[in-house]
Amino acid sequence: MRRKLMILLALVAALSLFLVACGGNDADATEADATDATVTEADATEGDAGEEDTDVAGGEGLTGPISVVTREDGSGTRGAFVEIVGVEDADGNDATVGTAIVGNGTDQVMTSVMGTPDAIGYISLGSLNDTVKALKIDGVDATDELIKEGSYPIARPFNVATKGEVSELAQDFLNFIMSKQGQEIVAEGYISVDDAAADYAAAEGLSGNIQVGGSTSVSPLMEKLAEEYMTLNPDVTIDIQSTGSTAGMTGAIDGVLDIGMASRELTDEEAAELEGLVIARDGIAVIVNNDNPLDDISMENVKQIFLGELINWEDVK
Amino acid sequence: MESTGNRTRTLEQVMHIVFLATATASIISVILISVFIFMTGIPTMAEIGLGEFLLGRNWFPRHTPAQFGIFPMIISSIYVTIGAIVLGVPLGLLTAIFLARFCPKNIYRLIKPAVELMAGIPSVVYGFFGMMVIVPLIRDVFRGLGFATTGFSMLAAIILLGIMILPTIIGLSEAAIAVVPRSYYEGAVALGASHERATMSIVVPAAKSGIFASIILGIGRAIGETMAVIMVAGGQSIMPENILSGVRTMTMNIVMEMGYAAGLHRDSLIATGAVLFVFILLINIAFNLIKRKVR
Repeated sequence: MRRKLMILLALVAALSLFLVACGGNDADATEADATDATVTEADATEGDAGEEDTDVAGGEGLTGPISVVTREDGSGTRGAFVEIVGVEDADGNDATVGTAIVGNGTDQVMTSVMGTPDAIGYISLGSLNDTVKALKIDGVDATDELIKEGSYPIARPFNVATKGEVSELAQDFLNFIMSKQGQEIVAEGYISVDDAAADYAAAEGLSGNIQVGGSTSVSPLMEKLAEEYMTLNPDVTIDIQSTGSTAGMTGAIDGVLDIGMASRELTDEEAAELEGLVIARDGIAVIVNNDNPLDDISMENVKQIFLGELINWEDVK
Repeated sequence: MESTGNRTRTLEQVMHIVFLATATASIISVILISVFIFMTGIPTMAEIGLGEFLLGRNWFPRHTPAQFGIFPMIISSIYVTIGAIVLGVPLGLLTAIFLARFCPKNIYRLIKPAVELMAGIPSVVYGFFGMMVIVPLIRDVFRGLGFATTGFSMLAAIILLGIMILPTIIGLSEAAIAVVPRSYYEGAVALGASHERATMSIVVPAAKSGIFASIILGIGRAIGETMAVIMVAGGQSIMPENILSGVRTMTMNIVMEMGYAAGLHRDSLIATGAVLFVFILLINIAFNLIKRKVR
């Protein structure tokens, strides 16, 4: 009798798990039917997106309210995005709409946009992958070549900052980043700043630890650079923390970090205390969910969406 | 004989001092924390203006001019905690009663370790679960019903926190109910009460003090939980419109901004910590008063 009860409980638990999973699928299906965009249209245009200029806005696009995703206040990406796109009020303050979801770091923004069908957000171009889709701005694709040309407007420098006297080890690391080998690594996913850099020669017997911290956008690049540097200098360890651009600058000013990373220009207060060095340039991609049929958006629309003036997908041209 | 007596007495005194020292260590830590928080927090609140800080609805610490109103955060913390309690306490208490008085031995062997395992799961894992399961579920269900929501909402935080405080409430309540003297139950049954009547009317009320303690601990966990809530609540620093709006609790605010806050901004976050401190104090005092009255 007891055994039967246990088997029954186990079956009920398994069944309820199935129901939860199925319930999710059913809700998805009904939502897709309810909105005007037909799922088949979206699939077809997704297939074409890479090849031709399908103007998908208008009757066939996504409808309903736009879920805006932004970064935390101290994010360099947010600072650069707000300044370039113009999401500011009359006093020059950040005027991102108050109802925007706040993702802490590049990864959280990507996860939020990936999981929310009507979301729009922005991330470092170097961190872009298949889980989200980057929109063209006024017909211009977000690629490194077009940024270098100057056609894609939303781009910012990656800065590293140090305070006062730099240790020999940290200086050598910075030399490596600006060398030919370092800039080659930069060019793999971002835009190098010095195409005619000198070779890097690893000095003998360098050892110690370098504390690096700051922007979540610069971190992936910094990790690649650190890995290569540590291969060339096996007695050196480099610790990288991803806390956000402003946190990185604050850490450098406080002396907690040897090198701070920022994905924006240094502010006047920061520049007064720190030495900045541009190591790369990076675009900011405006991203939407992969199921969103939209491919192209105007800069003006992006500004209006993030100011909260444009609320529904059907009003996007 | 005398020397042995002296040695024992000295040992006694030494151990006395050791125990006193360890007890004082914990009191000293609490005092140090309170002093640090209030020493920075109170002057900051005075500088910003107490009304402006506690009742202001605009949180723009990096604007010129800066605004430091944490009222939306206070309200969000209160709503989320109340919601978590409304969800977690009945569920937890009834589960504890079931485990202590109605559960067959072999099912108990399954459920009890599961509850204890829940207590050990890290908050980030709960947060990830919330972000991957609860948030899309809320979005799909409520969009289907015609409400606009992104899923990142007060409701998601409430559900997640309700689940997270369950092990705390279940564990302590069950222990409290289990130590009620057998004679209470047997007396009730002898007077003709059924098993259920005896348990609910006699045994459970006798365990009141332990149950209250578990609820206070649950509230404490709910109001202080940060990592899990950050991933599901949305982070909007404006007044929540309804239960489906995104929110930012006081703890979320501190964690999100502490890394880069400087000057008055950093001090205002410490002042937010002071407000949290006061909240916990008030809750503890309130519960002590209720306990005394009910007894």
